Amino acid sequence: MKKRTMETSLAGHSPGLVRSIERRLFLKQGLSLGALALLSGCDPTDDEGVQSLLKGMSRWNDRAQGWLFNPNKLAPEYPESAITKPFPFNAFYSEEEVTLVDGKDYKLELEGLIREKKPWTLPELYGLPQTSQITRHICVEGWSAIGKWSGVRFSDFLARVGADTSAKYIGFTCADDYYTSIDMATALHPQTLLTFRFADQVLPPKYGFPMKLRIPTKLGFKNPKHIMSMFVSNEFPGGYWEDQGYNWFSGS
Amino acid sequence: MKPLEIAALATFLAASAGASAADAPGKPMKMDEPMHGEMKKESMKKGDVKKAAKKKEREMKPMIEKEAAGSTKK
Repeated sequence: MKKRTMETSLAGHSPGLVRSIERRLFLKQGLSLGALALLSGCDPTDDEGVQSLLKGMSRWNDRAQGWLFNPNKLAPEYPESAITKPFPFNAFYSEEEVTLVDGKDYKLELEGLIREKKPWTLPELYGLPQTSQITRHICVEGWSAIGKWSGVRFSDFLARVGADTSAKYIGFTCADDYYTSIDMATALHPQTLLTFRFADQVLPPKYGFPMKLRIPTKLGFKNPKHIMSMFVSNEFPGGYWEDQGYNWFSGS
Repeated sequence: MKPLEIAALATFLAASAGASAADAPGKPMKMDEPMHGEMKKESMKKGDVKKAAKKKEREMKPMIEKEAAGSTKK
């Protein structure tokens, strides 16, 4: 398995770029230290004041990460030989409790700042131009795995439905009740895919049938499975884990 | 086939079917059970996600509809 360390990923780049990346890392680490400093002397319990302060810091952190996000920087892609087998299943429930969505009746609902809100059936979605990627899924829990996903470029889909791409957020609701949202810059990133296939097969239920948003520039919990509806908005939608205190942007 | 062999075969088939059904997805989620995974806090239950999703929908839906209606008027 090809493992990229900071040294190898920076090797061969100009000193200016390296300095720029180091500055970014310093900024990110500085932000975390800031949060720690503010917390020192506090009892980090469920106290409302502490929670509010932490949420404020986290939103500030999101904005900083948004500024640092490079929409043209691609996540590493891998050869077929690097694919992790078996690919891990991960959710807040067990594998036998995976939600089964009936593909025959399925319709993707669209809401918010979208011109064409007509729901999409699976055959219509499968009929769109498809692309594939082999990328690394990185989980906030500390593990990662490489998989192959195929589907339509999300930016193409958003253009097709007339989404207002000047809006800030896209939110997703899922058949297993999970919900999350992402920033528009990430939605338009060329590697962000609305996927319908995993390992060249129709997406199995445990990996998110009928569709999963695959975002290789973000942590796994920002990659919703079993998507039933999506909306475009300027109102901050948060997400399940994000509302529990996990960093909303969670990407690079 | 002898009756004993038939009974053994039937038991084996029943056990196999049971094993594959146990692994199969689609069982109802046990909402009062603790969540799986490492992201949770100790007290979190699987049903918390559904409750939070409903609350979020109540908060977001009017705002999204108002926003979309405003953008159509422009």
